[in-house]
Amino acid sequence: MNAPDRYERFVVPEGTKKVSYERDTKIVNAGSFTIEREDHTIGNILRMQLHRDPNVLFAGYKLPHPLQYKILVRVHTANQSTPTQAYTQAINDLDKELENLKQAFEDEKIRYEERPKQGY
Amino acid sequence: MERAAGGVSYQRFPRVRIRELKDDYAKFELRDTDASMANALRRVMIAEVPTVAIDLVEIEVNSSVLNDEFIAHRLGLIPLTSAAAMAMRFSRDCDACDGDGSCEYCSVEFHLAARATDSDQTLEVTSNDLRSTDPKVCPVDQARAYQHALGGTEPFDTAAAADQRGILIVKLRRGQELRLRAIARKGIGKDHAKWSPAATVTFMYEPEIRINEELMETLTLEEKRNLVESSPTKVFNIDPNTQQVVVEDAEAYTYDDEVIKKADAMGKPGLIEINAKEDSFIFTVETTGAITAYELIMNAITVLRQKLDAVRLQDDDADLGELGAHLVGG
Repeated sequence: MNAPDRYERFVVPEGTKKVSYERDTKIVNAGSFTIEREDHTIGNILRMQLHRDPNVLFAGYKLPHPLQYKILVRVHTANQSTPTQAYTQAINDLDKELENLKQAFEDEKIRYEERPKQGY
Repeated sequence: MERAAGGVSYQRFPRVRIRELKDDYAKFELRDTDASMANALRRVMIAEVPTVAIDLVEIEVNSSVLNDEFIAHRLGLIPLTSAAAMAMRFSRDCDACDGDGSCEYCSVEFHLAARATDSDQTLEVTSNDLRSTDPKVCPVDQARAYQHALGGTEPFDTAAAADQRGILIVKLRRGQELRLRAIARKGIGKDHAKWSPAATVTFMYEPEIRINEELMETLTLEEKRNLVESSPTKVFNIDPNTQQVVVEDAEAYTYDDEVIKKADAMGKPGLIEINAKEDSFIFTVETTGAITAYELIMNAITVLRQKLDAVRLQDDDADLGELGAHLVGG
């Protein structure tokens, strides 16, 4: 009766931005990104990719509550960068990695399907 | 945005090696990436790759022993071939039918009409009795039977015959009838498991096993045999020529630490060291048949990239960030 609709887990409500950024008022080069309707799938790869950036001093994410379908990603960078720069860089790198992975699968499928012919 | 695009990159270059690839099964190695990427792919394959499943059932006649809701639920769980699902629209986003979810762009209509005639034989209504308005979307067993009729490579055998009987929906006795109309729509496993294309997707870390040869030399043959047998799975073996303990199948290891405990109990700590490589994963993908295993993997990568695009910062957010940094800097 009062259970939330299942589609609420992945459909962003109207009037809500998918990603919003809030600067930390006490620490320079620090802030939080609120990503609506995402979970550990995006949060974990984003956090781990941010860790690979040497300019990132801190990167973590959390789901505030299982019924709040959003993640908070907190980023703290050195002076040479800003959280928004590091965030955008991480997404670009992940996208390129996935593009590379897709190409690797396509090449490997061709190799795999030609393998028996070589055996003959 | 421009500066970030021009900056250095921390991109990785994952490598893939396919070991097995069938229509509904794949086994491959994924290397040079980390667990977060492997787990993201696993999660997307299970719950976010879209397929088509029956979502609305209008029953006109049902005099079978099962009630309407029971039959509707069983219909929803039938896997339908979904190679076209990625190009379909979600019903809630479709503007052609104004959200009704019944037009050709976002749904596929099925009909079923079955009646047990005056005969003592029980009539089995199966997924083969479903008639689809779109030949690209039909029950998985129908597609397989069709391919077999076209002269598939596999020889005819009992298993194939059993596979072609279709998925049983309900049994009708004499005089009973079932007539219904069903609408199938695009969805993802996160909404309902019936839309999940994966029967299961698992990955394991590749184990790295090192044997301390010096300590191993101090063991007798009987002790070596006991050590080998202490593992519940066959990971080690004794080379009959050299009487040495060798790794027979590293991937059979289930990270149970049994052989390490045995070595400790024998007074030889450090005899064998087993660690999980953190950048090598062995994936096993099994699908329901809605899409092929290869399509599932490729669709998962596409969906994950779409999700990354969705979480990009908008220009105003980026400007705000830059402005904030500038203010602090100034």
